[in-house]
Amino acid sequence: MSRTLRSVAAALAFVLASGTAAFAQDPSGKLVIVTSFPKDLTSAFQQAFQKAHPKVTVEILNRNTNAGVKFLQETASNNGTDLFWASAPDAFEVLKGANLLQAYKPKVEGIPEKVGAYPVNDPQGMYAGFAASGYGIMWNTRYMKANNLPAPKEWADLTKAIYYDHVAISAPSRSGTTHLTIETILQGEGWEKGWRTNKELAGNYRTITERSFGVPDGVNSGSFGVGIVIDFFALSSQASGFPVEFTYPTVTTIVPANIGVVKNAPNKLAAETFVDFILSPAGQEVLLQPAIRRLPVNPATYEKAPAGYPNPFKDTSLGAQVNFDVEVSQARYNVVDALFDQLITFQLDDLKAATRAIHQAEAAIAKKPNDKARSLVAEARDLVAAMPVTAEQAADPQLAGAFTVERKSATDAVPERQAQVEQKWAAFAKENYAAARKKAEEALALAR
Amino acid sequence: MNHQFSPTALGADLQSVGVRIDGVNLFYGSNHVLKDVNLDIRPGEFFAFLGPSGCGKTTLLRLIAGFNTAQRGLVRIGDRDISALPPHKRDVGMVFQSYALWPHMTVRRNVAFGLEERRIPRAEVERRVDAALDLVGLKHLADRRPSQLSGGQQQRVALARTVVIEPKVLLLDEPLSNLDAKLRVQMRQELLSLQRKLGLTTIFVTHDQEEANTICDRIAVMDDGRVQQVGSPQELYDHPANLFVAGFLGTANVLDGEVRGDGTGTAFVGKGFTPVPLPRTVEAGSVGKLMFRPQNLTIRQDDGEPRPGCARLTGRITHREFLGASIRYAVDIGGQQVQVDAPHQAGDPLLAPDSPITLDLAADKARFLRR
Amino acid sequence: MTSLALSRESIARVRPGPAAVAALIALFLLLFLVVPVVQVIFVAFQDKTTGAFTLVNFADFFRNDLFMRSFWNSFYVSAMSVVVASALALPLAYLTTRFEFRGAVLIQSLGVIPLIMPPFIGAVAMQLLFGRNGTVNLLLRDHFGFSIPFMEGLNGVIFVQSIHYFPFILINLSASLKNIDRAMEESAQNLGCHGFRLFRRIVFPLAMPGYVAGASLVFIKVFDDLGTPLLLNVSDMLAPQAYLRISSIGIADPMGYVISVVLIVCSLLALWVSALAMRGKDYATVQRGGGGLARRRMKPLELVAAYTVVLLILMLVLAPHIGLSLLSFATIWSFSPFPDAFTMKHYHTVFVESGQYITNTLLYASLAAALDVVIGTAIAYLVLRTKLPGRQWLDYAAMAALAVPGVVLGIGYLRSFYGIPMPFSGQPLSSFWLILVFALAIRRLPYALRACTAALQQVSSSLEEAAENLAATKLRTLGRIVVPLMSGGILAGFVTSFATAAVELSATIMLVQSQSDAPLAYGLYVYMQSAAGRGPGAALGVFAVVIVGLGTYLSHVIIERGRRERGQER
Repeated sequence: MSRTLRSVAAALAFVLASGTAAFAQDPSGKLVIVTSFPKDLTSAFQQAFQKAHPKVTVEILNRNTNAGVKFLQETASNNGTDLFWASAPDAFEVLKGANLLQAYKPKVEGIPEKVGAYPVNDPQGMYAGFAASGYGIMWNTRYMKANNLPAPKEWADLTKAIYYDHVAISAPSRSGTTHLTIETILQGEGWEKGWRTNKELAGNYRTITERSFGVPDGVNSGSFGVGIVIDFFALSSQASGFPVEFTYPTVTTIVPANIGVVKNAPNKLAAETFVDFILSPAGQEVLLQPAIRRLPVNPATYEKAPAGYPNPFKDTSLGAQVNFDVEVSQARYNVVDALFDQLITFQLDDLKAATRAIHQAEAAIAKKPNDKARSLVAEARDLVAAMPVTAEQAADPQLAGAFTVERKSATDAVPERQAQVEQKWAAFAKENYAAARKKAEEALALAR
Repeated sequence: MNHQFSPTALGADLQSVGVRIDGVNLFYGSNHVLKDVNLDIRPGEFFAFLGPSGCGKTTLLRLIAGFNTAQRGLVRIGDRDISALPPHKRDVGMVFQSYALWPHMTVRRNVAFGLEERRIPRAEVERRVDAALDLVGLKHLADRRPSQLSGGQQQRVALARTVVIEPKVLLLDEPLSNLDAKLRVQMRQELLSLQRKLGLTTIFVTHDQEEANTICDRIAVMDDGRVQQVGSPQELYDHPANLFVAGFLGTANVLDGEVRGDGTGTAFVGKGFTPVPLPRTVEAGSVGKLMFRPQNLTIRQDDGEPRPGCARLTGRITHREFLGASIRYAVDIGGQQVQVDAPHQAGDPLLAPDSPITLDLAADKARFLRR
Repeated sequence: MTSLALSRESIARVRPGPAAVAALIALFLLLFLVVPVVQVIFVAFQDKTTGAFTLVNFADFFRNDLFMRSFWNSFYVSAMSVVVASALALPLAYLTTRFEFRGAVLIQSLGVIPLIMPPFIGAVAMQLLFGRNGTVNLLLRDHFGFSIPFMEGLNGVIFVQSIHYFPFILINLSASLKNIDRAMEESAQNLGCHGFRLFRRIVFPLAMPGYVAGASLVFIKVFDDLGTPLLLNVSDMLAPQAYLRISSIGIADPMGYVISVVLIVCSLLALWVSALAMRGKDYATVQRGGGGLARRRMKPLELVAAYTVVLLILMLVLAPHIGLSLLSFATIWSFSPFPDAFTMKHYHTVFVESGQYITNTLLYASLAAALDVVIGTAIAYLVLRTKLPGRQWLDYAAMAALAVPGVVLGIGYLRSFYGIPMPFSGQPLSSFWLILVFALAIRRLPYALRACTAALQQVSSSLEEAAENLAATKLRTLGRIVVPLMSGGILAGFVTSFATAAVELSATIMLVQSQSDAPLAYGLYVYMQSAAGRGPGAALGVFAVVIVGLGTYLSHVIIERGRRERGQER
């Protein structure tokens, strides 16, 4: 190249470089975040971020996940929110589907593709995972002692008669992370067997809460003894001094908690900087604080973690047992929620009555073996476990369509209405549980 | 609408008892509301507590009913000391000034109330209620609500309600003050007639001396918590014990002056009038006033001497009132005001204001009152 | 000529003053109640796929077992709550208004405090005290071997709700009792009636307007309340079902809106029934300055019994607050009758972090309550004293606010006002904190309206006519005669509006857009989402209760003093 050209090129390159450097400005102004995370977590990040970027004021708007999504939907026309920050991936899917997020690829290096068996980021880049959590079992040591209950290890343990009326869970329709746990059981054991397990567990539930924090709250105060909870609830409760213990069963999902930039964010620069911050090593370390206790997605951070801190990247048992298929989960998402609610949540009393009768019958048979009784009990169990729809039906877009609004084209058949479907399932469950109970009581009478 | 009270409809024999109030003193906080009240009300008497607002007459009535407690003193009904009894055990019937008919009950149920409280069997209750309503002439309104009745009708219901339980004593708290003038006159006659026929001891509180005069046997005049005087209307009018009673019952002329001895006895002397002889009981130098009624004065159109036993008053007419049956002249006597009534016939000339006038006062009708 | 005269006559019937006021109120209700709600509810009448008008969703509702079960549960719980709340309120109201009772004003103020129970935390505290493994049952089980299912299922909801809402009956009944002419009671005593019979036959029937006003409020409020059942994990009741369905994401379920419509209709029905029951019972008394129920003295034995009853009731209704206080000082309270240890740490945390919440709350709640009593008095006056055509609809519209779930109102506001930018700042209208005040005011207007109506019903119109006869204008009559005589009821309305607005959450949480504008309930909600936040949350709750309680007590004292000066107290 001629000398002049070379110097021009160099000058151009210099200008461009300094120009780009000039473009990589410091963020400033207000940063509005709608989040469902508790204060412990948000304050920690808020303080750390504001220290690193003093010109930014972080404004945290605390809503539960559902309310947060609704809020974004309602305010879309004049959006004032920069970031949506929550645990449940399903909320982000909804926002993504409604075109309320914008893509951003974080600039931070070193974040792996998957944590456990679950992808960290959205494939389209609409939201990014920043921390992982796994579902497990939490219990109150004082309660267990007072009621002579052994510490549980696996999901199957919780189906035993001894835990009757001592366990709690939140409804999957209200808690995206619980939903994923239910879905994990379904994918891990198969549709039929998975539902059987879910119902056997449910037969032991004292209550099904509407918000996910209701479960650890109840275990903390000793209202019930065992809770199916997400790990950081249990770990932060321990850090607060409550007499509780926690374990991961072998079959569990590790799920990332996410953050996404809202479409038409007023302060896009600050939003993106924040995302990068929480993924940076400094940000990831915040997760290790005792009041927060979540699993970083950056494997390097674990070196700074205290001994015994769960590490999904090293400990292959954590969440890798099940090959989680996100597509399958998405396709039947609403159906699974509705099935759980109609068959379990709103029929809990009947289900528990049937389960109790079965437990009593089995206890009697253990003392006085009786073949007829045993087969009756098996029939009863089958009745409880019966499902009104198969896996294929559950994945059928027709059925899914009952729960959503869009009809893709005028030639699509109009699906049944949601209320009709629910009524069918509810009636199904009611009938079966009543029949199961009868059979179990018969069996009990025989075994006495 | 006139009607007759028919006590036979009540079908019962009402016993009358007397009421005695002994040495009652009542305080509200530091307020001495009733001061040393002593009264003896005879059985079957129609007795009035008369006085201005705030004199304590209602307080005294409520004491008998049991809604007040006296710090000192007793209340006896018949021979029974009821001072400590709560109101619902006293068996005295009270008609309240506002009638206090319960708006959520019909007339019939209002009247039946007291009987139901006494656990009287239903059939008997209905019979007596009918009799009481008959007595006051309101049987045809038995199923109405109080809000649908006129004032006079409400009062009758209140009466029926009280009378039906056959109380020993009937207490009436200004029962006529809420009625219009004509009705008032009519009702007081009916009250009197009812009382006579039932023979109930009745105590009647009022501030209207005409009411008290026309129907009561005896009156206790009260002022400032004290009983000023007890007596029949005539006694109180003719022989008032003090200036207050004199002024409260009827019009009183009051003259200032001095009591001087004049050799044979004492006389009341002052400006504008000749000395008025006083009874021996009044000593020279006593402090008091002279009281006489307008009708004790005669207008002298001539210049003659005062009539025997009369003192002479000279003065000037300040104004006059035409009362129909009489003319009332206000006269200035030596700087004091005096009223004289002159009977009026059609065609009689009226004396003009500002003209001089001469009056004769019958000395034996004048009273010397110390306070 | 004649036509002119005729039209002048018909114009005269619609007087300009009241008509203007009515129009203003109608506009307010339209803008801030009707429009937002309709926006949300019309979904219930839409076919989900075609968008056409349909009633099929309602058919689905009645065919659905879960919904019908929820319906009957809601009904049962509401009715039982009225019963229990009455049992709690009657003795307190009767004893404090009827007898010489030292501390009557204090007790009346304490009696309001159950209303000031921030959401979430009330049920948490009750669980801690009365739950299956709460204080009472742990002690019972340890010492006596049995436990009482206070908080199981529907019982728990009834228990918490009746304690929470019994002040409605207490306040309204007390105001009513105080206004009964003394002679009514004395004439009954004179005829031999006393004690409980006297109360049952005379006093209570005459106090009915107040009782019915309070009882119908309790019924409706319990029927529509979602916070308590949800927190106690009772989801098969109507209001929780509506909430769960409206607030679930990713699906468009019209049933939530259908249930909202059912809630509104049922509440309106309940009001209509109570209005029917009160028809024709005109209990206006002419106050002659000395009216009001006589206060009797009790004998020493009676006093002891009375104080015991009052103390027991107060302890029960203040149990949530006792639990709350314990929690605010507790380090760890888990499966034991009492906390492990006590600390001041939580108060320190709250003090440092939450001052803004408290000032915001005081401002919002006072404004909302003031707005409520002004509008409530105006509507009461228009309905009871004028002949304006269509005035009854103002009453119905205002009362309908009771039946609207907070979440529906919140969403409706967002939909209606978000698109409108405010002048000067360009911020959306719904983020202006005054909108939050309006939301609070609208949701509380029914309480104030009922209280003002009951108060006005007990003021005879002859009292106003006397003033007008003396050449006072309508306005001056209102200000100098009517309003002072209504002051008891107005105070009751203000107090309930203020107290409940101070701790409202369901509409608030949808509308709050910045922390600096957020009220106390929001701060509390944020605390209660984490294990470490229970203590500070409870401390903040205690703050709320103390502040509102003090405010209530002070306003009580001031108005009582005013009444005494006017000779309405003895």
